[in-house]
Amino acid sequence: METKRSELKNIIMNTRTLPTLPGIIRKLTQLSENDKSSVQEMARLVSSDQVLSARILRLVNSPSYGFYRVSTISNAMILLGVNVVKSLAMSSSILGIMEKNNIGLWEHSLAVGVASNLISKKLGLPESEEIATAGLLHDIGKVIITLNCPEEEARVRKIADERHIYTIDAEREILGVDHAEVGGWLGKSWFLPEKLVEPISFHHDVELSRDHRIKTAVVHVAEVLSKASGFGDSGDPFVPSLQSAAWDMLKLTDQHLAELVCELEDKLVEMKNFSLETYESA
Amino acid sequence: MQKIPLKKAAPGMILARDVYRNDSPAGMPACGSGIVLTDVLISRFEQINVQALYVEGYPLKEPGAATYEEVAAILDRRFEKVLSDPLGAKLNQIYKEYFKRAMGEESGDEAK
Ligand SMILES: [Fe+2]
Ligand SMILES: [Fe+2]
Repeated sequence: METKRSELKNIIMNTRTLPTLPGIIRKLTQLSENDKSSVQEMARLVSSDQVLSARILRLVNSPSYGFYRVSTISNAMILLGVNVVKSLAMSSSILGIMEKNNIGLWEHSLAVGVASNLISKKLGLPESEEIATAGLLHDIGKVIITLNCPEEEARVRKIADERHIYTIDAEREILGVDHAEVGGWLGKSWFLPEKLVEPISFHHDVELSRDHRIKTAVVHVAEVLSKASGFGDSGDPFVPSLQSAAWDMLKLTDQHLAELVCELEDKLVEMKNFSLETYESA
Repeated sequence: MQKIPLKKAAPGMILARDVYRNDSPAGMPACGSGIVLTDVLISRFEQINVQALYVEGYPLKEPGAATYEEVAAILDRRFEKVLSDPLGAKLNQIYKEYFKRAMGEESGDEAK
């Protein structure tokens, strides 16, 4: 089992079989490190890649962000911030794979993105766009597991189903590692910022988060709410326990929770219509 | 109160919430709550690209749609691992209350 774990880690850290970072991201990183380069310059660079900009615009226009009709990359950068667009660009290859091969997981991810955004707005947290991005990316580890260990993944599904256990426990049993940790490895190997890596790594175990516990707690609560709403499919049908570490960290109240449930259900109705529209027009 | 797609809107329904232009959700409402829908109003909403409306009561109850009891049973199955946990039980209760209200099970809100 330990071998499967280190095998996966090796694959993620050194392999070429992973979706690689396109050269454009490297250039974007250089540009964003240089204070003098403008949003316009970066936007021009992203716009030069048709596929990438199409994906980003579609994401930005999805109800997960709540902006309406963002039609240019430079508007997206102004609205979301350069770093969010950069993270989206980095992750868009993996999100693309998810959207193609596992629509259930894609819908679950969108729902968690939406819920993360709602929670951080309700609590008036800073960087709500980053938190929404973390929510959108929280289960990327699952895509990596599917891509690299299809047989083990089938066994994970099988025992989770047969024994009525959470997917994450089945992963730990079969692989010796879970999708949260794998997602964290991937985030690190792509140099995603820590404020995204921690929520990805610890969304099932808020207490382990150190520097970005608030963001992690938001994504955890978003996960619980999305599972409760039954939107999408992340592997098992069970609502996970709402960890008191997250509840306390965010100083949530019953009132918050009731309002959030209402707002999320509203958004999910919109989202169902949205995905119908995009698939019909695609 | 029910959220319905504009396509299903019909004259006589009463707006339960303000309607905003789809392209400027933060701007001025295009129409206030409490207004009774007319054909003219509905085609105006089409023109400005409104997708959905909130209307009073629960006018679109499709035949064969799940009842509240069925929804509550589905919720309990989803929550089966956390019902013994106080926060899990709390969230389950909140969801049930939400659906009770959304599905028009409230007393006095018996929409036709
Ligand atoms: Fe998840
Ligand atoms: Fe997860």
